Amino acid sequence: MRLRKRMLDDLDQDIRDHLERETQDNIERGMSAEEARYAALRKFGNVTRVKEETREVWSAVWLEQLLQDARFGLRTLWRSPGLTVAAVLTIALGIGVNVGVFSVLNGVALRLLPIPRAEQIVSVNQIFQGRFARNIHGESSMFSYPEYLDYRDHNHVFTGLVAYEPSVEATLSGGNVQQLVGTAISCNYFDVLHEHPGQGRGLVDSDCAVPGENAVVVVSDGLWRGRFAADPSLVGKRITLNRTAYTVVGIARPGFTGTEPNPSEFWAPITMEKALESGRDRLADDNMSWLALLGRAQPGVTMQQVRADLGVIAGRIDQLHPGRTTSLAIRTATFFGSPEERSFLIPVASVILAAFALVLLIACANVANLLLARATVRHKEIALRLSIGASRGRLVRQLLTESLLLSLAGGILGSLIAFWSFLKITQFLISHLPHGLPTFTVNVAPNIPVLVYALGLTLLTGIAFGLIPALQSSRLDLNTILKGDGAHSGPGKRSGRFLLNALVGSQVAVCMVLLLAAGLLLHGLYYAQTVHPGFEEKNVAQALFDLRAQGYDESRATAFVEHLLERIRGNPGVIDVALAECAPLSHDFSTDHFTVPGRADKVSIEYNHVSPEYFSVVGIPIVRGRGFRPGEAHDAPAVIVTESTARQLWPGQDPLGKTLREDTGREDSVIGVAKDAQVSHLGELNTTYLYFPAGPQDDLRTYVLVRYAGGFTDVAKGIRDASQSLDHDVSVDVIKLEDNLEIWRAPSRIVAALSGALGALALLLASIGVYGMVSYSVSRCVREIGIRVALGANGADIMSRVLWQAMRPVLIGGLVGVAVCAGVSQVLSSMLFGLSARDPIAFVCVPLFLLAVALIASYIPARRAMRVDPMVALRCE
Amino acid sequence: MSTKEQNERIELLQGTLDLLILRTLLLGPTHGHAIAKAIEFRSDDVLQVEQGSLYPALHRLIKRQWISVQEGTSENNRRAKFYRLTAKGRRQLAVETNKWEALAGAIARILRPAEREGES
Repeated sequence: MRLRKRMLDDLDQDIRDHLERETQDNIERGMSAEEARYAALRKFGNVTRVKEETREVWSAVWLEQLLQDARFGLRTLWRSPGLTVAAVLTIALGIGVNVGVFSVLNGVALRLLPIPRAEQIVSVNQIFQGRFARNIHGESSMFSYPEYLDYRDHNHVFTGLVAYEPSVEATLSGGNVQQLVGTAISCNYFDVLHEHPGQGRGLVDSDCAVPGENAVVVVSDGLWRGRFAADPSLVGKRITLNRTAYTVVGIARPGFTGTEPNPSEFWAPITMEKALESGRDRLADDNMSWLALLGRAQPGVTMQQVRADLGVIAGRIDQLHPGRTTSLAIRTATFFGSPEERSFLIPVASVILAAFALVLLIACANVANLLLARATVRHKEIALRLSIGASRGRLVRQLLTESLLLSLAGGILGSLIAFWSFLKITQFLISHLPHGLPTFTVNVAPNIPVLVYALGLTLLTGIAFGLIPALQSSRLDLNTILKGDGAHSGPGKRSGRFLLNALVGSQVAVCMVLLLAAGLLLHGLYYAQTVHPGFEEKNVAQALFDLRAQGYDESRATAFVEHLLERIRGNPGVIDVALAECAPLSHDFSTDHFTVPGRADKVSIEYNHVSPEYFSVVGIPIVRGRGFRPGEAHDAPAVIVTESTARQLWPGQDPLGKTLREDTGREDSVIGVAKDAQVSHLGELNTTYLYFPAGPQDDLRTYVLVRYAGGFTDVAKGIRDASQSLDHDVSVDVIKLEDNLEIWRAPSRIVAALSGALGALALLLASIGVYGMVSYSVSRCVREIGIRVALGANGADIMSRVLWQAMRPVLIGGLVGVAVCAGVSQVLSSMLFGLSARDPIAFVCVPLFLLAVALIASYIPARRAMRVDPMVALRCE
Repeated sequence: MSTKEQNERIELLQGTLDLLILRTLLLGPTHGHAIAKAIEFRSDDVLQVEQGSLYPALHRLIKRQWISVQEGTSENNRRAKFYRLTAKGRRQLAVETNKWEALAGAIARILRPAEREGES
């Protein structure tokens, strides 16, 4: 602005002219020249401030000041490199771990699907209320095929709506048998998602025209390269999935692995459902949850409009199902977006983010401590600036700019390291997951939300650790300081000390919370590693035969299983073989409702179908009655209950001969009582559990459990060979039964390792904090100590005095931390296996440990106080 | 940094300096020092402006385009900036004056309750 420049350029001259005129007037009034000059100046006021205020009139001044502050800040920081490096590294550490963790959470739960124009894609889930029955294959919030068609054909908000069944397992035969995970999709899937296959075509509507016809498939780029060696002529060839030949019509774009976190290797028409997974006809079932829905919203359509429009359809469907009310959960689509997954993810993510934020808080307190200590050194500079007319607000702003510069440097450094290292860490973790957990992909690369989070956190951090020291150090008693008694008249000695103590106290409190949580988790982990599950997990091999998925019907399956068991029994080293619907701790659960005759309420009890040999193979003793007899078929009305079940259902009575009524009306009588064992959830004792005899229906999907003596590899090979010799196309994966325990222990182990590392980090930062605080306060009372020594105090007195001053905030903070953690542990214990909220070992050991560390951290600088030479101390100021 | 002088004179209310400057310029364009003098003189020296504060105010008025500035020569033949009321400033002066009179009247009425009660 030209006017602005001209006005400001002339300002100095204008003011000089003004003063000259006033001086002239005063001389004319009879003053001496010197007197006149002073009177004029007095009347004019503070020239510098007038100039400053005038400049401020021309607005953009804040920008100028900011640049000025930044330049000044950089110079100041440059002059004390030690402090700057320490502060930047501390902040980098604090922000780095937070940003890294957030980028993982972002990849897991916030990132849009990796497809073109993903912001238009909307996931639809239903949440049911009321009393009704529904078949569930997957998650309850999914849709049936007729429901999908209704939503697809009657909505007015989508350009297209797709349905798919995630995680369809299929056996690829021909050459080596290979187990694949794929997706059964509605044939508009590729079109609606704007996913154009790299070669060939996607599925088109005609592929879904007739159920059971059109065996076509699109395979993933990874499968094409891995299994088919990037065969350029694969499109058009036939591959065999679950005994049906499919024509490959396309190969997906490299990098496209579907719309679920676990990568899909093939996409087949949903109308081929029955060939993929034989069993009941799901396409016709209008009351079965098995399909996930994704819609592409029309341009300009808002989320509200989508909800309103689909809500009408939901209401109409509800009328067909009396007693049921459906509400729809409609969100922009992400991985892990279903209500079930989110209700788990959100609390877990909040706890994790909170824990990491606490570490950042400790780091902030440390930096604030550093800055406060330095502020003492700078008192004279600040006092001088205040006295020549700098306003307090301006000064605070300048000090804040400095701390923001520090936090920016730390934030950028920390984020860069985090982006790199968390990429590696996640890759490492994912490739080292225990056997049996599903594979999944997480994209942790930074995107806009991560960058915004990093920037926000950085600014917040800068203000958090900068504001208190800035406010504190700009509140000075100018007179005392300028008169030279610098070191002793800080920002009110008492309040300065209080602030330091409060900072250290809160650091210790936060550290205590983290360490206690880590202690609880580690103790829980120890328990998880050593707990005996109640059955003999060693020397048992486990193999799952999902024959239904491989196209078997019941009679063929029964024949297969019969021959299989015969051959396995014939192998050397095999002691006994058993069948079970659910292997112990295999994450397969079956639950049903039962009534006890004579009681009104229904009880929900988990159950298992097992062959007679099960109890001896797995090592669960029958304590009363008898086990199942060979030939006691699935239909025999016999049941074996566990001890806890007997206690809970028939307290104080003999359970043998008692009956349980199923929902179907069938009554089963108790023939035996088995010892309690943690076969369903590791760590859950005394839960109810029932065993029914296995029958022919169970052969379609059954676990084969083999107790062996000798080497596992031979037994595993024996099982695989037996299966191959019966049917070359059946794929089978043999693992040790004890591997199942690993899967249960893995989450505790990961969380314990994580919290242990976090706790160690917190401890390191907090002990630096305590150390810094004590050495600072010792350095401030050197003269006081000198006087005391001169007057005859001995070293021990001074030592205990200094230590007591240092430990007081530590003790208070520690107590607060213990109290907070007592609350937190309630939450943790409900989420993690084997954790008890009131763990005496953790609650005694951790505080003692922390106190010891704090004591050492204060002892080292306190020793300096003892060695103060009174002569030096008294002379030095 | 407050001086005794400041305590004895009547401090200007926030924003009133702008009004006084505009009113002074109504008599004709003049330079900074003369404006300060005029305000003191016309208020019988009751209002003593801290002269420096005139400059931020002048710049503020220029920015709002209530006054304009041009180079000129002062009475003793020296180069100086002459400030002149613009049409916009003239209108603003009318508005501000009315506001001020209303305010002053209202305060005066409150401060002299006895007289008014006597009248009624």
